[in-house]
Amino acid sequence: MTAPVLIAFPKGRLGDELVPRLAGTPLALDAAALKSRVLRIPTATPGVSALLLKGADLPRYVAAGVASLGIVGSDTLDELEMDLLELADLRIGACRLCLCAPAGITLEDLKARPHLRLATKFFRATEAWLAREGLTAELVPLSSSVELAPLLGLADAIVDLVQTGATLKAHGLVETALLGRSSARLIAARGAILSEPGRIRPLAEILLRALT
Amino acid sequence: MPVRTPHFPDLLFGSAARLRRWEGALMALLAAHGYRELHPSLVLREPVPEGALRFFDGEDLVALRWDFTVALAGLLARRFPEPPDRVAYAGAVFRRPVQPWEAMERFEVGCERIQPEGEISAEADVELARLLMAVPEALGLRRAILHLGNAALVRRPLEAEQLPPDLAKAVVAALSRRAAHRVREALGDHPAAPRLTAHAEALLADLDGPDTLKALDASPYADLLAGERAHMDRALHALLPILPERLDLRVDLADVAGLDFYTGPTLRLWAPGAQQELAAGGRYDRLFPELGRPWQAAGFCVRLSRLLDLAETRPDLFEQP
Repeated sequence: MTAPVLIAFPKGRLGDELVPRLAGTPLALDAAALKSRVLRIPTATPGVSALLLKGADLPRYVAAGVASLGIVGSDTLDELEMDLLELADLRIGACRLCLCAPAGITLEDLKARPHLRLATKFFRATEAWLAREGLTAELVPLSSSVELAPLLGLADAIVDLVQTGATLKAHGLVETALLGRSSARLIAARGAILSEPGRIRPLAEILLRALT
Repeated sequence: MPVRTPHFPDLLFGSAARLRRWEGALMALLAAHGYRELHPSLVLREPVPEGALRFFDGEDLVALRWDFTVALAGLLARRFPEPPDRVAYAGAVFRRPVQPWEAMERFEVGCERIQPEGEISAEADVELARLLMAVPEALGLRRAILHLGNAALVRRPLEAEQLPPDLAKAVVAALSRRAAHRVREALGDHPAAPRLTAHAEALLADLDGPDTLKALDASPYADLLAGERAHMDRALHALLPILPERLDLRVDLADVAGLDFYTGPTLRLWAPGAQQELAAGGRYDRLFPELGRPWQAAGFCVRLSRLLDLAETRPDLFEQP
């Protein structure tokens, strides 16, 4: 008896960029299943299926060994304490993690505030930056539409991913500090690679060839 | 009654019988090789780390035994002027899980090989590897993989470069993820970055069998690590000819698990398809000197709780008794 292999793909923008690149490979996702609402999609290789998962949940499936391989942004990995392997930087889905404030407010303005409030879902990266800068701040947890927070008085600024900057511009925000960079990473379950390298490594190679 | 509880496993009939059988088989195996059982108390009164299960006994803060090796080391250092050379143990440890799917109460069987400082340790390391090679048969595991590593392959270059502790920690975390690109990211423009990145790439080279050691030729620390390499080479030559049919032997140069504890050769036992290692151990020569005893030691622990879980989810990996 051999357990089926599951590969976790992110839903959303990164997933939309990845999935077409797999067309014509042994790991191409079944087109009919993709159009349905199912989240477990057969691939062109029997016994290998794809899971479509929210990025923040994806590392947990891989760390637990439920999925043998996965693709997720390094920003998500850096926020979680997960025991997994990171096989490659795929260099796609590149983003900047930035401190963004309403236009006209500088970094010095923010640093001078007696009580700084930052809205973000990137707590670890923000705390590390605050420590480097010798600052303290109140972190306001928000998981989406974070650009609204400074406009509506919920926070002074935000820490969020920026790809093109169009969303920031639309909300009158500008980048005031660069905290880090993010790109998609090919990750693997420790057990999958260390206990079944002959089965999992070739699948990882297919993903690498298709996605880099 | 709380509805959200930690994972304290109750063992039903089949698992309870399997645990009893495995404990018996492994303790008999260890006894046959001269390992005598010690049983440190389940309740510890010495300072305990985060992660132990702690509570107040009157005014005293106590903890449940969270690690057999540390508990045994305390007992041995307190009670024995000379070290017993071979010690075995069996029982439960209690530790707060790092990951939510891990149990808090864990059943283990293991052994420690202790020597006075200065005694040649290479044979003791091979003795432990041979013993671990016999464990799959004792458990009825159809196939297994033994990984040989060496903590010094990472520890010594980091010490030689005198990296600040936080940076060294970041490098080890990157290696734990087997991500050479993360090592490069972590080191940035540190002067040692080119050397340590090249070393990480050498450790992560995808080779197999005895040739794996040749990957160290590409490391800038090849000379520094010549002794470790020779030690691993000798171990491979001693073990490969006696490798049981059900066992594969692999060299894992990038094994950094427990790097703050292990100082030399490491051992990991896996089963094909298992998501967690089933046994782990290695040389830890700094523990007894920290307790005031000039002794060196190595050992391994068989994680019976993980084996019990594996027997439930993958019964095909085990022979039927």
